[in-house]
Amino acid sequence: MNLALGRAGVTLGLAAAVLGVITVGYGLLRKRPDLVRLSRWYAALVFFGGFIAAFAMERALITRDFTVKYVADNGSTKTPALYNFATMWGALQGSIILWALILGGYLVAVVLKFRKRLADPLVGWALFTMLIVCAFFFGLMVGPANPFKSFSPPVGFDGPGPNPLLQNNPLMAFHPPMLYLGYVGFTVPFAFAIAALITGRVGEGWLLATRRWTLIAWGFLTVGIILGSWWSYEVLGWGGYWAWDPVENASFLPWLTGTAYLHSVLVQERRGMLRVWNISLLCATFALTILGTWITRSGVLESVHAFTTSSIGIALIGFFALIVFATVGLIGWRGDRLRSPGRIDSPFSREGAFLANNVLFAAFAFVILLGTLFPLAVEALNNDRVSVGVPYFNRMTMPIGLTLLFLMAIAPVLPWRKASTELLRHRLIWPAWIGIGSMIFAVIVGARGFIPVLAFGLGGFAAGSAGRQIALATRRQGWRGFVGRANGGMVVHLGVIIIAMAFAASTSYVRQAEFTLTPGQSAKFAGHTLVYEGQNVKQESAKIVDQVLIRIDGTGPWAPSLNKFANGNQTIGTPSVRSTFTDDVALSVIDIKDGDNGSVTIRVTVQPLIIWLWIGGGVMAFGTLLAVFPGRRRNPLDAVSAPLSVEPPKKSTGVTP
Amino acid sequence: MSSLIAKGSPLRRWGPWIAVCVVAVGVLSIATFGTRSAPSAQDRVSTISRSVKCPVCSGESVAESNAPASQEIRRQIAEQVQQGQTDEEIRSFYAAKYGQAILLTPSASGVNALVWILPIVAFAIGIAALVIVFRRWSSMPAERATEEDRELVDAALRDNADVDDDPHGEGASR
Repeated sequence: MNLALGRAGVTLGLAAAVLGVITVGYGLLRKRPDLVRLSRWYAALVFFGGFIAAFAMERALITRDFTVKYVADNGSTKTPALYNFATMWGALQGSIILWALILGGYLVAVVLKFRKRLADPLVGWALFTMLIVCAFFFGLMVGPANPFKSFSPPVGFDGPGPNPLLQNNPLMAFHPPMLYLGYVGFTVPFAFAIAALITGRVGEGWLLATRRWTLIAWGFLTVGIILGSWWSYEVLGWGGYWAWDPVENASFLPWLTGTAYLHSVLVQERRGMLRVWNISLLCATFALTILGTWITRSGVLESVHAFTTSSIGIALIGFFALIVFATVGLIGWRGDRLRSPGRIDSPFSREGAFLANNVLFAAFAFVILLGTLFPLAVEALNNDRVSVGVPYFNRMTMPIGLTLLFLMAIAPVLPWRKASTELLRHRLIWPAWIGIGSMIFAVIVGARGFIPVLAFGLGGFAAGSAGRQIALATRRQGWRGFVGRANGGMVVHLGVIIIAMAFAASTSYVRQAEFTLTPGQSAKFAGHTLVYEGQNVKQESAKIVDQVLIRIDGTGPWAPSLNKFANGNQTIGTPSVRSTFTDDVALSVIDIKDGDNGSVTIRVTVQPLIIWLWIGGGVMAFGTLLAVFPGRRRNPLDAVSAPLSVEPPKKSTGVTP
Repeated sequence: MSSLIAKGSPLRRWGPWIAVCVVAVGVLSIATFGTRSAPSAQDRVSTISRSVKCPVCSGESVAESNAPASQEIRRQIAEQVQQGQTDEEIRSFYAAKYGQAILLTPSASGVNALVWILPIVAFAIGIAALVIVFRRWSSMPAERATEEDRELVDAALRDNADVDDDPHGEGASR
């Protein structure tokens, strides 16, 4: 039943997408608006197909229908309801269903939003592009990643359940959907960019039309990445939250290019420039989401040679190549129209700062991409093995990060066109003193070392700048000073700065140690006292939990544990974290010695300011939300910048109207 | 005091910034050269084990991994630190024993040097490209508004009130 339903959904989605591509494509080429307008029905059918597939999979998981091979491989009667529900995105085939469902959702949203312009070739070609992407993902579910393979379970069969790590923390239910909403969301602006190239309407119309879509996708991606990092901190138990792991890098790469795009697009809106660059950034962002899926899903990471056996790997890398060739070909074809007459007058201007931002973000993305793929390249070319790990990424990204903080301090106060030193001197002095203040504060509370203290200084400087912009905007506009792209953007900046400071502090001042304790014994580490009180063994439906009770500075007891899952012999540790606003003490159990008077080995990781990573993430999400709401309306006929020869008036500059 | 410095003199204008720079250099030198407790043996062990890859797992360092092999290496590193070996000696010991790939920091020799050099090359190219476009832009003649342009703008501004700036119902256009 579930099998048939699921297969029907997948087939419906695929058929609707393929027919939609043909119909809309034919209609666009033959100038038949009636055919082009049919896209709304195809979109609805694609979404419906994805919905049926997802519904069938959830129904199979919830009823433990082991005739579906995916459920037999990943489900279990013992899995608690929440994790059972989340199992749909716990493994490859199911996660493609989620991808297809979200893609269908975005497709329908685009159709609804542009319902009055469906016959417009720009919208038509965008829907055409989206339908091709839909056809690809539904195609994956028919071919290499079929979630609805059948299985004949023997009597009394019970599946192994999802990977134990995936049923250890409720964040698992939220992190992948958020991430996918971000990944998939970039399909919309990408499709409009392709449509702009095909129709030759490469002006600013498509940019304005997709501005908010891009921002929303970016916001979801941001939240997804931060939840993922939080999940790994709460679950993996090694005391860290970001390991520059290929999976993390795969999500970070489109975030970097997407962030670069959100900034450089402003230059095009204002000045009509950087058209090729913006289209390239957007296409790179979308291509990187596919490349990231390939990196993480094809098995290429274990070994280059394992990858040829995975047909999904070949499909994804083929699709990636198609995107790259199509984009490069289209940009080459439209080269003449993409040239813009404008020029940037001075590097010391808002647009100059955005260009610098783009070079830095591109360099950042390049370092991450190189570091992630380098081991694969070396293995493929040289048959040699090399590891590129945390020390490399930390060392290479640190100077880029510091420069970005510096830029975040300068850029918001720069006017368009051209700034004078007079103006900068005047506007930046207070932010500079805030930066100095934060350095002094850091040194007083005991921070040492050139790099971290410099980072705190630059962070204060940048926060001062963002704060200045918000203060000016609210003084002029009241509560509206928080809303709109420029003002919301400053709130996002504050979130980024909070995260950057927490990252700098926690990586610079992390202390880690292992202790073997017998009951009643205590240990002192990094200013904290730990007392081991004893153990507590709990029997749960899917696992046996062996908790180790520890008091930290008299609070608690905190209970890191080892979990033995009923299915499989894996033992998974669950860390326990005491968070305060100043520092986190994370405990994880390394070893429990059987029969040996209850002695245990625990790992203690003390890191400052960890909680601010999550707070900063919340501030970023809130800022994105503020930026999505329309700010003060600007009449398109109003002048956007002062004439070159005249000094910009003090009152209206600084904050983008 | 400040009245002694003439209004508009460079010192008057740049004074606050000179103060900022002086204080920044002072604070940063305290931060860099100020007394700092030397890293304990425990800290050195955790720093080194974060740069050595777990030999049996994928992509985890010895510090992160809970595999018995990693626990063994952590113990070994602790012994080596106790014996007074330097960080470099300990790392090259593991590189010799397990191969270069055991180190999470790629070496800067042979093909592996590329992973260090390429980003710098790419960044230099990016900066050079920026310099070139700014050169080209600055050599371009500035656009001058003609009488015709001005009339066009004036006409548009007169019609301003009647203009529907939102023909597609997409909300605010900014």
